[in-house]
Formats: sequence, structure tokens, C-alpha cells
Amino acid sequence: MKGFYILGGYPDMKKFEEVFKYIAEKADFVEVGLAYNDPVADGPVIAEAASKVVKSNIKIDDILKIVEAYKKSKVYIMTYANIFYQYGLKEFSQKYKNLINGVIIADLPNRMHSFFYDNGFDIPVIPFVTPESRDEDIEELKGSKADFIYFVGVRGVTGSEVNFLDTELVEKVQFVKKVTNKNVVFGFGIKTKKDTEKVMTYADGFVIGTEAVKRQTNINEFKKYIESIIR
Amino acid sequence: MKGFYGEFGGQFVAETLIPVLDELDKSFELLKCDKDFNDKLNDLLKNYAGRPTPIYYAENMSKKYGCKVYFKREDLLHTGAHKINNSLGQALLAKKMGKKRIIAETGAGQHGVATATVAALLNLKCTVYMGSIDAKRQSMNVKRMKMLGAEVKVVDEGTKTLKDAVSAALREWVSSCNTTHYVLGSALGPYPFPKIVSHFQSVIGKESREYFENLGIMPDYIIACVGGGSNAIGVFKGFLDVESVRLVGVEAGGISDKDGEHAARMSFGKKGIFQGSLSYVLTDKSGQISNVHSVSAGLDYAGVGPEHSFLKEIKRCEYHYARDKEALDGCLELCKLEGILPALESSHAVGYFIKNASKFKDKTILINLSGRGDKDLEIILENMEGTI
Repeated sequence: MKGFYILGGYPDMKKFEEVFKYIAEKADFVEVGLAYNDPVADGPVIAEAASKVVKSNIKIDDILKIVEAYKKSKVYIMTYANIFYQYGLKEFSQKYKNLINGVIIADLPNRMHSFFYDNGFDIPVIPFVTPESRDEDIEELKGSKADFIYFVGVRGVTGSEVNFLDTELVEKVQFVKKVTNKNVVFGFGIKTKKDTEKVMTYADGFVIGTEAVKRQTNINEFKKYIESIIR
Repeated sequence: MKGFYGEFGGQFVAETLIPVLDELDKSFELLKCDKDFNDKLNDLLKNYAGRPTPIYYAENMSKKYGCKVYFKREDLLHTGAHKINNSLGQALLAKKMGKKRIIAETGAGQHGVATATVAALLNLKCTVYMGSIDAKRQSMNVKRMKMLGAEVKVVDEGTKTLKDAVSAALREWVSSCNTTHYVLGSALGPYPFPKIVSHFQSVIGKESREYFENLGIMPDYIIACVGGGSNAIGVFKGFLDVESVRLVGVEAGGISDKDGEHAARMSFGKKGIFQGSLSYVLTDKSGQISNVHSVSAGLDYAGVGPEHSFLKEIKRCEYHYARDKEALDGCLELCKLEGILPALESSHAVGYFIKNASKFKDKTILINLSGRGDKDLEIILENMEGTI
């Protein structure tokens, strides 16, 4: 499962459309980020890009229109809880549950998923596992309706450095797979083809964010980079 | 649901922090009933911080406004504000949990100074995050923190104020939570922080309650400023069960009702999820957090503690706002009538009282003076040129 994160509406709607159209055909799944102006889980590259999108007042519905027009692979929306909350949990869900395959919410830990579901949200929320997750917390993810479990490989924000073959990390991912019987996608810190090769020795997939967003402003650079990863 | 006050609160943070928050909650629940812990904390509160703080009957002000006005003098504490109550409690807690380092965020600098102070006292490494605008307008406090041995990280992102200092501290905590405790400065953020901060600040209400019980009366009103809400929740806690006491929180009304020109969450905000909890927030309908303004760096914040939102919802507390100008007038009035220079945060409570003085005629009012105004002198002088 090869996935890429791109930021909705960045650097403008036209370029986002180009990038999305391209990546939707190439990747197994696409994470589309919705910009938020208090992005506590994002590193400087994504945070700065998000800040530009926020200033241009781009509407969520316009981003999702592009997703609808060009969707070929699975699409997950990644953002922060207040974005959905202000849209209306039920409203967003009813409108987009047939379009998107799940949501990834950086400030919604697994135990708070029920808050979303109890308030009418009907789209699967992708669970997180981190190097710190406790065994009992991981076991609770068995029944998740989500397509995969998102393994946050680093303690820190997106774009951080990480040793992908760290024994503890590898064992943790293997433990998650065994206990939950779900696919595990590794996120945060992946930059190169070499990184992906290391990750794919034990995980079911990966997602690249910062490096993709860095190149969103130039479609040729973006294509070149994606090719280098998925060739 | 655990960690909620009615529908407000929760733990809206990265999954990485969940085991840490659980450990914090467990340690706090054990230690808050532990005799040794409480003996140590009470000793420091008394002999180091200067508790109990007095309650002062303001005769001149009472005479002028035709009522009985009392001030709870948290401004007389070591480091100049109520913030030391919470910093001492949390730093001791961190130490008991085996943490070697603490981090904090600060707006006006009072919480940063208090945390840097207790870090020096308890031999903990300390880093304080502060927005660059706040660092500029509260430069003396930046110098104080550095003198105390703390590292001050100036945040030059977003609004460059308290919101971004909190975000930076949360980001750093995600990567260092194994060794570091985040001394959150107000009764907000993810559970259990609102509970922990209000516990350590409840000493204000406890002492105030004892004072009035000894007098054989109860105040008709208690007024406190509300930024994150820690001094207010601290004093309110002592009187929540006394229905006759009306509890009034005063927010920063800034310069107008317009978005971005105030920080009055209860009056103009809506329910939203921000920096760890569901509470009243200044946010637009697309979910972006609004810009805020206040003459006081400590009230310049888009969110508010979840317990305050709950108290508003159940109508136990009422929330109003005072404009910048009203706060500055309140500050000057307290200087001139009583010889007390209040912090600009507390001046909002004083300003609200003065503006609505007719409503308080013949009543007994306790105003929580959360901090002293030395740190604000330059801002006060800048804003009141010609009137002083």
C-alpha cells in the first residue's frame, strides 16, 4: 500500500487539481490534508503550506469536488478535529461517506473515536499506533472498521528523522499486525526510496507527506519524485 | 465519558500522549491524597510562595462605589501571581514521577516565571515557550526567566502569542514526553490538566471561603478575570456550592466586537475543539481558530478551560467582558484609590466592577487580584499617555 499525503488547495486550486489527478492514478491511496491554522502534529513544511491555504480561504467542499472528479484510488482525508466539528460531524459524514474511505485525525486519539461516532460520524476513523502504545490499547483496535492502522513511526512532528530498522519499531509493527490482523501503514519521516524499502520489509504500506508537499508547487518535480518512489 | 465536564473537555491530542496523560492522571490521583506530598507542597506554599494570601477590605473603593469591596491578594505571592500555586504543585508532581525536565508555555510571562522559579528551586531543567509578540511586550519577564536558568524559546509562528506558544509546547512534548513533564499553565488542555490545575488553584477559593466564614457572611459576588481560567476556577471552587454567591468571570473584550479584536470566547465564541479539549472557542465556521486581541498578554487566547464552559452552560457562573480601555481605567483607579498596581489581567475584573458599579450597590464583592502589574508598566504607560 503505497500512499502519499498532499495538501488540499496548495499552492492553489489549479495546481492541487493537477497534482491530485496525477497521484490518484499512481498511488494505492491518497491522503488529502485539509489545512488548519493550529497544526500541532505537523512539521514546518506542512504547517507553512497549511498557513498559506488558510489565508486563501479555500472551501472544503471545493477540495472534495476535485477528489470526486478524479478519484481512482482510495482517498483518506487527514486533518484536525475542529475542522470536522465545525463542518458538522453528521453533515460531513452524510455528504462524503460514499466518496472517501476514511479519515485520519491528528488530534483524535483512539479512545476519542467514539465521540465522533456518537455524534453521527459514519466514516471510518483510522486508528493510530505509536512506539509508546500499550499492548492493551493495541488489542482494542481488533474490531476497527478502518482499512488499516496508521503507525506513527516517530515521536514528534511530520518530517522528523527516524531509524526505520530500529528493532523495537519493527517488533512493535509486527505485534500490531499479529494482534489486530489489520494492515499496518507506516507514516512520518519517510523521504527516499531506500526508506520505503526498509519499511516494506515489515509493514504493509507507507505514506509520504512532507517530501510530497515540498514538491506540490511544481508538477514536474512532483511527478519526478513520485516516480522515484514507486518505480 | 471520562475527562468531560458535561459535554466539555476530553483528550483531543496526538495518540502518542495518551499513555503519558494516563500516567499523569494516575500519579496525580495518588499524590493528591499523599500526606508527604501535601506536607511538602503546603510547606512550600507557605514558606516559599507566601500563602495564605491576605484578603484586603478596600475602604476607599467601597466608599466611592457604595458597596463592600474585598480583594484576594494573589498579587502578593512570590513571582507576582497565582501562577506559582500551580507551578509548585505540578513541578513537585513531575519530580515524584521521575521527570528531570519541565516545559511550559507563557503569554504574559507570569506562568513562565513561576515555572522557571520552581525549576530552579527543585533542580529541574526548564524550557519555556513564548510567542514573539508576547516576548517583546513582556521583555522583563523573558530576562527574569533566563536569569532563573530557564531556556526561553521564542515562537515566531502563527499569531506569535499564547496560542502558538501552547502549540509549540505540545509539539515538543510529543517528542520528549518520556523524560519531560509539561507544566500547563491554565485550567485547559486535555484531561487531566483542567482537573490538576484547578486542584492546585483551589487553594485560593478555600482560603477565601474560610475568611468569609470567619466573618460570618458570604460575598454576594465573586469577580475574576478569565484567560484560560485558572485563577477564576481557583477562587470559584470555594463557593460553587453556595448558591447565593454569584460567580462572575470577566474576559478580554479588546477594542471591539469584531473578530480578531477581542478574546471574549463566552460572548462571541462557539463550541469547538482546540488544543486538547472541547470548549468555547473563537473559531470561524470552516474550523480555523480566530485571531484574538487583548491589551493583556495573559488573556489574549482563543480558548477557555472546559470547566468554565460547563459552568456557563449550567448557568452557575456568568461571563462578561471588559474592553481594553475599561481594564486600563480599572488599573489606574485601583492604583489611585488603594495604592495597588494590579496586573492587566486582573484589571479586567476591576474594570468590569467599576463599569457596572451601580449593579453592585450595597453588595459585598470579592475580586480576585490574580497578579501584580509591575510587568505591565510599559504597556499601561504607553496606553494611558496623558492621563497619568
